[in-house]
Amino acid sequence: MHDVRHPLPHHQPAALGNTMSAEQLEQYNRRAEQAEEEIRQLHSTLQKLLSGSANSNDTDSEEVARLRAENQKLRYRVGILRRATEEEQAKSGGAHSKTGSTAMAGGAQCLFVALSELFSAAIRAAFPDMDEVATAVNSNSRFGDYQCNAALPIVKRLKDKGVKMSPRDVAQKIIDCVPSSPLVERLEVAGAGFINVFVNKTFAAEQLRLMIVGGVPAPTVPRRRVVIDYSSPNIAKEMHVGHLRSTIIGDSIARLLDFLGHDVLRINHLGDWGTQFGMLIAHLADKFPNFRTETPPITDLQAFYKESKKRFDEDEAFKKRAYDCVVRLQSYEEDIIKAWKLICAVSEREFEKIYERLNVHGLVPRGESFYQSRMQGVVQQLTEAGFLEEDDGRKIMFAPGCDLPLTVVKSDGGFTYDTSDMAALRQRIQEERADWLIYVVDAGQGAHLQSVFACARRAGWLDGGVRCDHVGFGVVLGEDKKKFKTRSGDTVRLVDLLDEGVRRAQEKLREKGRDQELTADELREAQENVAYGCIKYADLSHNRNHEYVFSFDKMLDDRGNTAAYLLYALTRIRSISRRAQLTPEQLLEAARAGTAIQLLHEKEWKLARVLLRFPEVVVRVTEDLFIHSLCDYLYELSTTFTEFYDNCYCVEKDRQTGEVVNVNMSRMLLCEATAQVMTRCFDILGIKTVQKM
Amino acid sequence: MKHMENHLKQTKGQVRTRFPPEPNGILHIGHAKAININFGYAAAHNGICFLRYDDTNPEKEEEKFFVGILDMVKWLGYTPYDITHSSDYFDQLYEWACELINKGLAYVCHQKAEEVKGINAPPSPWRDRPAAESLQLFHDMKNGKIDEGAATLRLKVTLEEGKQDPVAYRIKFVPHHRTGDRWCVYPTYDYTHCLCDSLENITHSLCTKEFQARRSSYYWLCNAVDIYCPVQWEYGRLNMSYAVVSKRKIAKLITEGLVADWDDPRLFTLTALRRRGFPPQAINNFCAKLGLTGAQIVIDPEMLESEVRDVLNVSAPRVMAVLEPLKVTITNLPSDAPAQLEVPDFPSEPQRGAHRVAFGSEIYIEASDYRAAEEKGYRRLTPGQSVGLRHAGFVIQLEREVRDASGALTELRVTCQPVATAAKPKAFIHWVASPRPCEVRLYDRLFRHKNPEDAAEVPGGFLSDVNPDSRTVVTALIDGGLRAKVYDKFQFERVGFFSVDPDATEQKLVFNRTVTLKEDTGKN
Repeated sequence: MHDVRHPLPHHQPAALGNTMSAEQLEQYNRRAEQAEEEIRQLHSTLQKLLSGSANSNDTDSEEVARLRAENQKLRYRVGILRRATEEEQAKSGGAHSKTGSTAMAGGAQCLFVALSELFSAAIRAAFPDMDEVATAVNSNSRFGDYQCNAALPIVKRLKDKGVKMSPRDVAQKIIDCVPSSPLVERLEVAGAGFINVFVNKTFAAEQLRLMIVGGVPAPTVPRRRVVIDYSSPNIAKEMHVGHLRSTIIGDSIARLLDFLGHDVLRINHLGDWGTQFGMLIAHLADKFPNFRTETPPITDLQAFYKESKKRFDEDEAFKKRAYDCVVRLQSYEEDIIKAWKLICAVSEREFEKIYERLNVHGLVPRGESFYQSRMQGVVQQLTEAGFLEEDDGRKIMFAPGCDLPLTVVKSDGGFTYDTSDMAALRQRIQEERADWLIYVVDAGQGAHLQSVFACARRAGWLDGGVRCDHVGFGVVLGEDKKKFKTRSGDTVRLVDLLDEGVRRAQEKLREKGRDQELTADELREAQENVAYGCIKYADLSHNRNHEYVFSFDKMLDDRGNTAAYLLYALTRIRSISRRAQLTPEQLLEAARAGTAIQLLHEKEWKLARVLLRFPEVVVRVTEDLFIHSLCDYLYELSTTFTEFYDNCYCVEKDRQTGEVVNVNMSRMLLCEATAQVMTRCFDILGIKTVQKM
Repeated sequence: MKHMENHLKQTKGQVRTRFPPEPNGILHIGHAKAININFGYAAAHNGICFLRYDDTNPEKEEEKFFVGILDMVKWLGYTPYDITHSSDYFDQLYEWACELINKGLAYVCHQKAEEVKGINAPPSPWRDRPAAESLQLFHDMKNGKIDEGAATLRLKVTLEEGKQDPVAYRIKFVPHHRTGDRWCVYPTYDYTHCLCDSLENITHSLCTKEFQARRSSYYWLCNAVDIYCPVQWEYGRLNMSYAVVSKRKIAKLITEGLVADWDDPRLFTLTALRRRGFPPQAINNFCAKLGLTGAQIVIDPEMLESEVRDVLNVSAPRVMAVLEPLKVTITNLPSDAPAQLEVPDFPSEPQRGAHRVAFGSEIYIEASDYRAAEEKGYRRLTPGQSVGLRHAGFVIQLEREVRDASGALTELRVTCQPVATAAKPKAFIHWVASPRPCEVRLYDRLFRHKNPEDAAEVPGGFLSDVNPDSRTVVTALIDGGLRAKVYDKFQFERVGFFSVDPDATEQKLVFNRTVTLKEDTGKN
């Protein structure tokens, strides 16, 4: 302002001079002051404009601030309303919308879902005229933590409407509309219109802390009544490797659904009805005539089956008696039913032993026999509704979308597997009140099940949003890439397979000298858990649609994506806290007391992000029921942890004395969170962890 | 009874308290009392105390407050048994609200906020609407179907002072720090507080006197929901004179540039007290002395400062520092005089350790410890009066003054004599040799009047009452060998108690004067 010290007006020179009165002088001074004040204000406005903070005080900006606040609130409200609408739709049994089934709620915050919802809201706000656009949120971003790739498809749609807008402008517009959220640190446009999302680390750290305090939480999803059908061996025959896949995959899916809080009924659809029971019962009656009062001591049902088969093939009189027994069984004659029940019980006890070894629990045995009485009702209903067609004496049913019709009634009036499957499906919906049916059956049954689903849909049984899934799987191959057989060409007995697994695991552990370090109990626990864990994991970690090669050498390898490696990795993580002389209770206490988890190191943050993806992975698995994604995640978690551990000191010990010098509590909590998430994954996979190996 | 049995089964008779701050501001001395009472009471009875963030109001919460509160609780020496949040219970609270509606004990009301303000508000015309209708409307509130301010959920209970039907839920389209975008209805203090106490099986719900009026609604609500009902006890709130603690007013002081920040040592926030060097034990002792009484009290800062002195007196090691240095050259220092002296940290308890200070012919003394003119009653150095040097074992006698061209005193030249042979001096003064400079911040009361917020006392408002000289900064000299970390506390001999400020660096120490040695006596 030095240059405007005396800005006296020049156009009144006459007033200047000796004659100027005091009053005039006063007036000039006032005007001069006024002018100076104006200049000062202009100058400061200019300064503000230059520094980019213009309008910070005037009324315009107040209005803008008010409107902005109001806009924020409206956007927030849109999010709430939208979710409420979805929940209501889900409740009233509307179509099983994907977003509806995964809405984030009180439990773990699924970052992916929360971000998808944020972007979905933002896109609707930015482009209100556009139909629903996929938010294309993914966690593959190389630059941010997540990325939203919705801009490009929007540009294309705008172009179709004749609107030209660059992808980067679209991306910026979306960013401007993203509602405020505690989980987003910042957003930025990158490259050709990608939106990089940077997750708020404080928020992430708090989520991890809560995870340790409250356990790995399940993402909240609307609760469904699920009936899952798996394992399903045949009575009086031994389980073989084919049943293994159904049992392992089915059990894991059931565990996953349990974890998510669904109401799960596990059904073992046993093959417990049919003509083979005639010869078994006839043989039983011959060998143990007093079976009605005394339980026959059958231990080897397999041998018993072979004996009766032999007689059936060679002895005509026996054969006749066997057929007679079938008829009497189907008319529910008391003694015959008793004999049948005895045989089933022996068989089920054998199965139970295997389930026990495989850590499979809660399977309700409910065989084909259960549905016999219900088949008549199904046929009656389908006939009355006019769904059945005559075909060469048979009654068949077609449905839109399936090429193969179901044979509901044979030409001799008898029923088929199609009939019992329809009856089972109806029973599960109408009596069990299920709204989600899952069949874990080999891929060869795909066409058959599709027909059953299509006919059920046509019959109206699936109305009200019942979800049906066929979880198919490929065959098990031997290392020669041919169907898995024993050397002599027989099918491999499951018992033998499990025994060999344990033996091999034991060898492996001995090779490493673990038998020297572990107690007998620990060694036994280790070899069994490792063996069964490896068998299960090898199965689960492959895309179930593909056939897979059964190889003990590969599955017991302690390098790579195997249970052997992962179980070992977990014991190592657990040993870190032991080395730091911290009990699990102390770690919990530290988390409870609010010990902050620092995510400063790049590898800490990387690990945290993987940990926080857990709910996202789980939710995704419930959509496609591909358990191998969970295995991939578990493996990724383990390798990310290794990276973290290689780069970040957790416990410092004195080299000479071995004394603990320093424990980084924040990192110990990261270790603990990792151990918890891994344990949770193993739990879902049905694999028992070990304390030492 | 069944609730009591259940409660006892879970607690086994253990005392359970909680400190429930709203995470929307900085803790101040008043909170220290609440912390002390809740944590102290639990500790004294072998019980447990929760830290519960009462985070029901989403608009006011910021991460820094959550962290700051825990930091202060820990600083005061307490560890919460568990850290909880009112928002942890939002689901349960919502469920109970639905139950209350079904029982006919709560209803959705559409009166505007300004209509229900004041004591004699008109009764709500919606009080007796059918429960089913209220329930549907409450769901609609939750689902975002109703405008902000257009509906509230109210409880059918009359408070002590005659206020009818307090609000339990209101609509806010604002995301919450912890529940994210899940809710747009948020519960009120009245509704949340007692239910959270009950959920955490609190045995003694301790609160300040102003909540006495809420006591009956507290009991009513627990009984209406039919859950265990804790017992509420009230104690008097603590107010400090010469202070303001309101968040808004402190913010104003900061924006006006009258104080530097929330932890400016002249304030009575807990961070400010920590920065000023108040030891947590002193604050706890102070609170304990106030006791658990129902009376609302206004305390003079002197009382707190006296607790601070008591603690620092036995905990802060003594060092010598010169705030207003005057150079002194000893012309006849014997060549065998020690270059370093051992000085006890606590002269009355030499066994607690000692530190070494430099000594030499060139030392600095406090300028006020010398007077050019003789003066009656002045006991320190004058041209005719010798004085002793503390810890050094010498008595000095002025030889001559050195003055610069303008006549200002720049140096004293003195002779020394061992204390054993010299005439006994009237006083011993402190000094430093081979010193290094440091910054010392001296504080006085921020406000001139006892009640800066009282319009009768301070008609111009509290901002006008700020003492412009409440903070002075001087460059002082300390012994070159002194090493100290932030918050280390010292007694500068004959000067006062000082604490290292977080602004201190490796190169330059910064001290805050915590308190003077004695209550301001006016002695110089």
